Amino acid sequence: MSSPILEIRDVGKSFPGVKALSGLSMTVARGEIVAFVGENGAGKSTLLKILSGDYELDEGSVLLDGAEVSHASPLEARHAGFRLVRQEPEIVPDISVAENIFIGEYPRRSGGRVNFPLMRQTVTDMLKRYGFYGLVSIDQLGRTLSPAQMHIVEILRALKDGVKVVAFDEPTSSLTMDETERLYELIRQLKLDGLGVIYVSHRLHEVMEISDRVVVLKDGVPTGDLVTNETDEQRIISLMVGRELEHGFKRAETTRDEVVLEVENLRSRWHNDISFQIRAGEIVGFAGLVGAGRTELAKVLFGEFEKQSGTVKIGGEETQIRSPSDAIAANIGFAPENRKAEGLILVRSVIENASMAVYSKLAKWGILRNREMISAVAPFVRQLEIKTPSMTLEVGKLSGGNQQKVVLARWLAANPKLLILDEPTRAVDVGAKAEIYRLMDELAQQGMAIMMISSEMPELLAMSDRIIVMHDRVISDPIEKKDATEEAIVNIALGTAVA
Amino acid sequence: MTTTANDQHSANTESIGKRMMHAIGAENLSLIIALVLMVALIATQTEFFFSARNLFNIAQNMAVVGLIAVGMTLVIVSAGLDISVGSIAGCASVVCALVVVSTGSVLGGIAMSLCVGLVLGAVNATIISILRVNPVVATLATFSAFRGVAFLIAPGGRPIGVLDPTFAQLGSGRLFRVGEFPGIPIAFVILVVVAIAAHLVMRSTVFGRSIYSMGGNPVAARLAGINLTRMRFYIYAISGALSGLAGAIVTARTSSGQPASGTQGLELEAITAVFLGGALLAGGKGTIVGSMLAVLLLATLSNGMNLLGIPTFYQLVAKGLLLVLAVAIGQWRMARSERVQARLTATGGQ
Repeated sequence: MSSPILEIRDVGKSFPGVKALSGLSMTVARGEIVAFVGENGAGKSTLLKILSGDYELDEGSVLLDGAEVSHASPLEARHAGFRLVRQEPEIVPDISVAENIFIGEYPRRSGGRVNFPLMRQTVTDMLKRYGFYGLVSIDQLGRTLSPAQMHIVEILRALKDGVKVVAFDEPTSSLTMDETERLYELIRQLKLDGLGVIYVSHRLHEVMEISDRVVVLKDGVPTGDLVTNETDEQRIISLMVGRELEHGFKRAETTRDEVVLEVENLRSRWHNDISFQIRAGEIVGFAGLVGAGRTELAKVLFGEFEKQSGTVKIGGEETQIRSPSDAIAANIGFAPENRKAEGLILVRSVIENASMAVYSKLAKWGILRNREMISAVAPFVRQLEIKTPSMTLEVGKLSGGNQQKVVLARWLAANPKLLILDEPTRAVDVGAKAEIYRLMDELAQQGMAIMMISSEMPELLAMSDRIIVMHDRVISDPIEKKDATEEAIVNIALGTAVA
Repeated sequence: MTTTANDQHSANTESIGKRMMHAIGAENLSLIIALVLMVALIATQTEFFFSARNLFNIAQNMAVVGLIAVGMTLVIVSAGLDISVGSIAGCASVVCALVVVSTGSVLGGIAMSLCVGLVLGAVNATIISILRVNPVVATLATFSAFRGVAFLIAPGGRPIGVLDPTFAQLGSGRLFRVGEFPGIPIAFVILVVVAIAAHLVMRSTVFGRSIYSMGGNPVAARLAGINLTRMRFYIYAISGALSGLAGAIVTARTSSGQPASGTQGLELEAITAVFLGGALLAGGKGTIVGSMLAVLLLATLSNGMNLLGIPTFYQLVAKGLLLVLAVAIGQWRMARSERVQARLTATGGQ
């Protein structure tokens, strides 16, 4: 064990309005398994993407086996020996396992012909060597692979010639217990081979079992570098949590008696038996890991995704919502998480984007005048302090925070009884964040019911009257504001809560 | 919420010059300049160009492509494409001739061409929306199929002669023909009426506004309550109906129901015009005014090349180049606005 195989020196990365990672220094020794843990947005993915060359880093440097690979491209990082096993591997459906493993790097014969025998031999050898022999056939087509088999393909891609460090991103999310055990065996073998291993997972018990060291990230800053044998899960969680809201926001007590949304025994592709209520003037926060099904729940309620069974009552009346237009007719508004892909028409004006959901309400006999569109949304553009030189400017030319405010203006103009906000302050600058919080508070005071999906712990704790945590297709009992602590929420979200 | 009464936008106080500019659209200015330059160039080469007869010839020639380009504007703004328009016009032309010949009713013939277009457009929408076939592939398929249908319904696959003088007015009739003044072509008047109506629909109706929304981002449009399937039905049906009307005009002008001749290549001209008029391939952008200016530009170009004796083959090459140029300009505009956005995001500016 001489010099470390991977050394990260003072690495930092910023995005508009967020410092995703700063001042991270750490090493991985040969034959060492280092786990990275942290909440959503703590900087784990950013780190992996920097190492894999997907992101350029802003500060610091990365040394692989003593050689600097900063400002790497994905290809350069790969050649230098860093390999990432992605959570959702890209598998080409119509080519074989062997070809999928060698894609982009087919062994050649003279005249540019692919050397199929060599490729098959290499893959067979690798399958045997890493204990996957018999689990997947080298001639199987990509489309026929199970999630676990896809994972094997992705792992073998990573382990081809010249590998020095392998990073696993949530490797067990699609694996059964048995398969997870097999993965552990593989990782231990890689350790014996003298590779550096990075293991990123939300599942703390796995981290405790497999890793030698644990690095804890919070808001892009390392808060702990612990030897696994000398620590426990509760200690790790305590290092992950404890963030403060930038502007300590205090909400007024506004919950009224009237129940606006009542969901009973809802089932869908993503959910088992979900029941909850949101009352007028109440903000209910939905916590959980990315991928726990919160966004899907919002889309099921909004009619974008299909509900299999269960009832949804709006204002006490059972309501059939089969499409977003049904939802809007039932006085529901929905500001999606990914505003560029799902929220906004980037090539159209601020007025059009803000008034889209009320076109039919504003029109007489289908005629829609510019003047009416403007007077319907101008008050909200002003109230939200949307900074735009003109109402006719294309929304794509506004900054992120102002774009988000345009989405909010749309739903203010529609004046719904229930407003669903999915990650309302994602990629929004600090000033705009505070304004969005103020607005949410004001809307609640006026009696709007708000369902807020958020991965920002401080935001959940400060803004929610009650918090519901989603984990593994179901939801927790609501946690009242006074009882809500970050530890309690994280424990439920990670599935480590003692029931 | 504090809503004040004087929330009227400053639009009311804009100067007349600005308002005119707004009506034409700044993005159409380059089209007008190109048109003026081209006219100047042609006029120096041939005196005949500026004669009233020639100008009204251009107007008459515009009508068929123009009507199709109106529908095509709706389709392209909604992020679709309709390659089958020429074939729809062919079907409509044949049906129109059959109806006029057999019943003697001119109005019946025109109404039937509209209906044929409407139905075939709805067939396109069904293939795209219900069978989920990409619009380019779907209408490429019906481009072939509808042309085949046109030949099948024409007895023996041959043109059907129509010798009704009233009906011929639709093709070559003139309004206000006095003395030396050759009169305004009726077909051109129809185009102007249709284009103005379409312009108003696109600008000031829920339907028109929703076309821009769905073209710019179908997911966001759906999440804002727009029914994309229904919209597509209307859009392709309108495109079909206008193609049908264009087919009727072709029938009247050639005095025969034509399965192919006169309606072939219309899709290329209409699509070129719409892109040249400022529409984006990705959808969400484009105006009737722009498309009509581009149709005028193309008709003038074609007329000029004929007057100057440039052979048809060169004209075909020129049309192809124009389509590439039109889309390339659109892509360049998009790239430029993306750079602006990237710069804004990078600086976190407003």
